[in-house]
Amino acid sequence: MSPGTDDPPLCRLDDLAQGEARGFDVPGLRAKVIVVRRGDTVRGWRDLCPHYAGGTPMAWKRDAYLNGARTHLACHAHGAWFDIDTGVCVQGPCLGKRLTRVPLKIDDKGGIHPERPPRGRET
Amino acid sequence: MQIIGPDLLVFGVDDVPACHEFLSAYGLDCADYTPEKGGTYLALDGTGLVIRPRNDPSLPLALKTGTTLRLQVLGVVDAAALDAVEAELSRDRQVLRLADGSLRTQDDQGFELAFRVTTRKPLDMPGEKVNAPYAPARPANALGVTQDMPAKPRTLSHVVLFVPDIDGAVGFYRDRLGFRITDTLTGAGPFLRPQANPDHHTHFFIRTPPYMQGIEHLAFHLGGPTELMLAGSRMMEQGYESFWGPGRHKFGSNWFWYFKSPLACNVEFDADMDTHDDDWAPREAPMGPEASQAFLMQWRAKWAPGGGPGGPKG
Repeated sequence: MSPGTDDPPLCRLDDLAQGEARGFDVPGLRAKVIVVRRGDTVRGWRDLCPHYAGGTPMAWKRDAYLNGARTHLACHAHGAWFDIDTGVCVQGPCLGKRLTRVPLKIDDKGGIHPERPPRGRET
Repeated sequence: MQIIGPDLLVFGVDDVPACHEFLSAYGLDCADYTPEKGGTYLALDGTGLVIRPRNDPSLPLALKTGTTLRLQVLGVVDAAALDAVEAELSRDRQVLRLADGSLRTQDDQGFELAFRVTTRKPLDMPGEKVNAPYAPARPANALGVTQDMPAKPRTLSHVVLFVPDIDGAVGFYRDRLGFRITDTLTGAGPFLRPQANPDHHTHFFIRTPPYMQGIEHLAFHLGGPTELMLAGSRMMEQGYESFWGPGRHKFGSNWFWYFKSPLACNVEFDADMDTHDDDWAPREAPMGPEASQAFLMQWRAKWAPGGGPGGPKG
């Protein structure tokens, strides 16, 4: 099944406040997709901190992905900070590594979708 | 050297209100919280955590790595023990005697340390009692679990640090402060027990590159595995996020459940750790999943089987 605009969106752009981050389960993916609103566009990242092989989820509470100043995505296991636009780790144990991008598209009703279906089912 | 272990860990954090929310849910008590200044979060015996904004000028300087741990306050048994620490460490570094009688110095890797006569108050609370066949530990009619039973952190158990120089860390804590090595995970590092504490470890060191130096996790002891399971389940039901566990470690035998936190380190519930004395022969095992736990489980929402098909969903 290909996630076209017929599929229910992860959420709508209007559901997200400016700068807000939220995590969504996507069928076929073992970890959530983090969606961050930046103006009228969105960034998508896998909820997998690259500190450990395979990655580990990053929030300290449901949807709590950002640092205090809301300037970076943060992994709350060991304090890694990631650039929201590039996914690059700028501080912490995975310095220089980066998050895995999830390309997103916004349909004409403002619904946010992954651009591509997951390749197979992750375990 | 009659050191008991950490009385307080002091943090300089990025998001004080988030830490307040998290540590309150975790079960520590705070009487002096303000969003601007943070607060002191205590376990039942008076050990605990101090949370301050990271730019608070009263905090010791941060390590260059940006770790949130700014100071460890180690409790010792009495004034003579404090004098012994002062005499030993003054041989090769500055040791300040502060107005409150405590000592301030640094370890060999730049972690800030304070020593004081411990202020922890021994608890008069029973531990968890388990009924085994032919060996009941609870009297008749005494219940093993109730949904609303207390499951609060009783005492600060241990701190785990990422350190670039394991030999240097061992040289300081074992050879200068008299800690015993209880066991070692090869490839990571040693578990250490101070002389005035029988717990398997109050400190564990994990070898890392220098840019990672800092705190890996901290843990408080609960009264037993049932309290640990209840406390962790309550966190999960409120949307807090597990990092590892529940499970039971091999070295130390302690039950564990780690949660990610806005302190920028994991915060663990711990229960039923082994105790040791100087007759113990340290073990060694290669760091990895096999050596790290006897078993590991993952939480799920409550569910129950029913009678026939079409029973309760969950």
